Amino acid sequence: MESASEYLTFAEPDKSNHLWRYTPWRRVHPTGDVFGIPELESADVSLVGLDGGPAPEGIRLEKGLTSELGLPEADPVTGSFLRAVSSNSQWTLRVDPGFSSDHPVILDIVSGEFASVLHLALEIGRLAELELVTRVRGTGEWFGLLRTGVIREGCSINDVVVGLMGNGTLLRVDSISIGRDAQVRAGTVSSGSIRTKADLRYRMGEPGGDLRVLGSVLSTGSMHLDHHVEIHHEAPETFSRLSWHSACDGKSRTVGTGMLRVANGSTGADASQLFHNLLLSSDAEADSIPELEVLEHEVVGCGHGTANGPIDEDQLFYLEARGFDPPEARSALIAAFLNATLSEMGGDSLHDWLVRLLADELHNLGA
Amino acid sequence: MPANQEARGVVGDYKAGWHDPEDSTIRFDFGLSEEVVREISTLKDEPKWMTDLRVKAYHHFMDRPMPTWGNTPMLGEIDFDNICYFLRSSKATEKDWDDVPDAIRNTFDKLGIPEAEQKWLSGVTAQYESEAVYHSIRGDLEKQGVIFLDMDSGLREHPDIVRKWFCSVVPLTDNKFAALNTAVWSGGSFIYVPKGVHVEMPVQAYFRINAKNMGQFERTLIIADEGSSIHYVEGCTAPTYSTDSLHSAVVELIALPGSHIRYSTVQNWSANVYNLVTKRGIAHENAKIEWVDGNIGSKLTMKYPSVILKGEGSHAEVISVAYSGEGQHQDAGAKIHHLASNTTSKILSKSISKNGGRGSYRGLVKVSPKADNCKLNVVCDALILDEQSRSDTYPTMEVANPTARCEHEASVSKVSDDQLFYLMSRGHSEEEALAMIVNGFFEPFTRELPMEYAVELNQLMALEMEGSIG
Repeated sequence: MESASEYLTFAEPDKSNHLWRYTPWRRVHPTGDVFGIPELESADVSLVGLDGGPAPEGIRLEKGLTSELGLPEADPVTGSFLRAVSSNSQWTLRVDPGFSSDHPVILDIVSGEFASVLHLALEIGRLAELELVTRVRGTGEWFGLLRTGVIREGCSINDVVVGLMGNGTLLRVDSISIGRDAQVRAGTVSSGSIRTKADLRYRMGEPGGDLRVLGSVLSTGSMHLDHHVEIHHEAPETFSRLSWHSACDGKSRTVGTGMLRVANGSTGADASQLFHNLLLSSDAEADSIPELEVLEHEVVGCGHGTANGPIDEDQLFYLEARGFDPPEARSALIAAFLNATLSEMGGDSLHDWLVRLLADELHNLGA
Repeated sequence: MPANQEARGVVGDYKAGWHDPEDSTIRFDFGLSEEVVREISTLKDEPKWMTDLRVKAYHHFMDRPMPTWGNTPMLGEIDFDNICYFLRSSKATEKDWDDVPDAIRNTFDKLGIPEAEQKWLSGVTAQYESEAVYHSIRGDLEKQGVIFLDMDSGLREHPDIVRKWFCSVVPLTDNKFAALNTAVWSGGSFIYVPKGVHVEMPVQAYFRINAKNMGQFERTLIIADEGSSIHYVEGCTAPTYSTDSLHSAVVELIALPGSHIRYSTVQNWSANVYNLVTKRGIAHENAKIEWVDGNIGSKLTMKYPSVILKGEGSHAEVISVAYSGEGQHQDAGAKIHHLASNTTSKILSKSISKNGGRGSYRGLVKVSPKADNCKLNVVCDALILDEQSRSDTYPTMEVANPTARCEHEASVSKVSDDQLFYLMSRGHSEEEALAMIVNGFFEPFTRELPMEYAVELNQLMALEMEGSIG
């Protein structure tokens, strides 16, 4: 069925579905008229090296899409909606088999002036080694990013998405399939946009996959940042870790929901998820729902955990006793909290870049 | 006598699955209507406000859709038109077991209730179908002003207290099944413990469904006045039939300042019973509410004991275990709302799934913006014993106060090969070793139960583990 027709068959999702419990679809739809499919602008997209130079040989952007077979199911509502509205804004990021580079690459996306959208297909060839940063910026009112793709067998990929939009709304849907023995670090750095709804799904359908999903989320003012992560273990000996750190200030709210699903037959699966929330003001709120569905008993282990708390007074005192003024000490502790996942997202040069970005964001947002 | 053999004598392989010949004095036709609701109220000679409340609840039940979460296929199989909503099997609630009709008394004898009453209980209510058939309380407690009645008598004898608190914790609009219970409730316990009175030994209610396609809708209301304490224990069984029965209770606890209520349940319904229960308590200043909740039987259980921590310094604990066998889904959990400062809570949930059973933990912990310095801890552990079974956890944490310290952890695993090897190398068979590991897994729950219940539960679990190997 065509995506637009498919989308129109769905009723508006209600709050009994955890995915929509905290951020109703109406609030993140570009117009609020959930039974309409608006025409949206295309986003500008370019590929450059992290150092500002050209992207290396073997990795390129191509207009249009390739096959999407074997992808995990996205939420039917947002999946079909984004497909429908992005039919004129489709790109494929192709990485040649065996590609290897020590230099991270930035896929730079600049949203349109009003409402814009991009469908990006990742086609990562087997045994490729790559650090990719997808940077989303711009001052548009609404931006929709649909990322679908396949990371083929034996790849080693650090895939970081950085959300730096201004005051608009970001709707992000990822639907990524991970091949045999592939090692993937999927990072999300989110500190932009007044409202974010992200639905990130990964399918480990072949043995030996190793996935680490990492989140570093800073919310201030009246931001509402809602991230849902699903990891589907559908093959033996698959490994996943989800580690999500959110710091909430002002009147902001962060929502982290996770679903680890271990299918029958995924023997030797090892999966866990952890949500850490740092509450920085009396008006901030952090919600976590780490869910588990385990249908296989021969697992190494499946677990989840959450922890919420304020800044540790002892740590503040320690820093202040060593010459930090109170705002500096607070800022340093927030940075350290967020760096716990940031430091796992990539190698040294990528980490340095992310730390500078975080420092700028902390400064700009006055956290 | 070997433990397993002894256990068969108590609970069997579901040994509580026998049924007595039906000898009802009043039995309603199957199906629910406003007329049925009014007729129940008339039979009980209730005040008008209660009749009106029932009718209102009935309309809410009819208007409200079925839940769209949980095991919706199983919920969809409930045939509300094929359930008997009221069955009176004894003309009166007796105070002497000798006056209870023989067949019913024999049933409770087999379940060991009179014996337990003599040995270690302060009072007993035995409910058979829709109403209590036996009720007693120790004289010294009565002299101290403790009220322990079946709910129907409670409404008759203490209408003002009941009217004040009834539906105050679980409003009729809370959920579809709370509305159903409010419409057709019958039986249950009514307890009031006066200021400063400590009921040292537990009181017990035992709920037995005997008839086919029966609906049991008991309503329990416990009020612990300032500085008092009580431990309430309930047990449930039913015969095994090929058609389904429905148990949909509502329990409301009110723990006034400085009081302590512990509510322990060992639910061992037969595998044809839907167990859809709403249990909630309100804890005032420095009060403590504990739910100790064991779910062993039933076809589908949906039960999430809740505590609203309304008063500063109040505390809640929920300790629950669930065993899911063939065809069973135990969808259980806990909900805690921290509304006041310096409140603390702890949830410990353990589940075992076997032979295609499904165990789910579903929980909510919420800290409101004005609740400073709250501490809460949630731990869920699950064991899956074979490849047909499954385990889910759906925890929710909503924290809107920066001073709260909240922790949640959960794990799903199989029985450790190392533990099995350790025990077998010391001479235990694999089956014994497994039963010991399972009992150890449940130990945080069983140690909170009165000893007699803990022993029975351990025996029951040993029985359930039979045939787990190979």
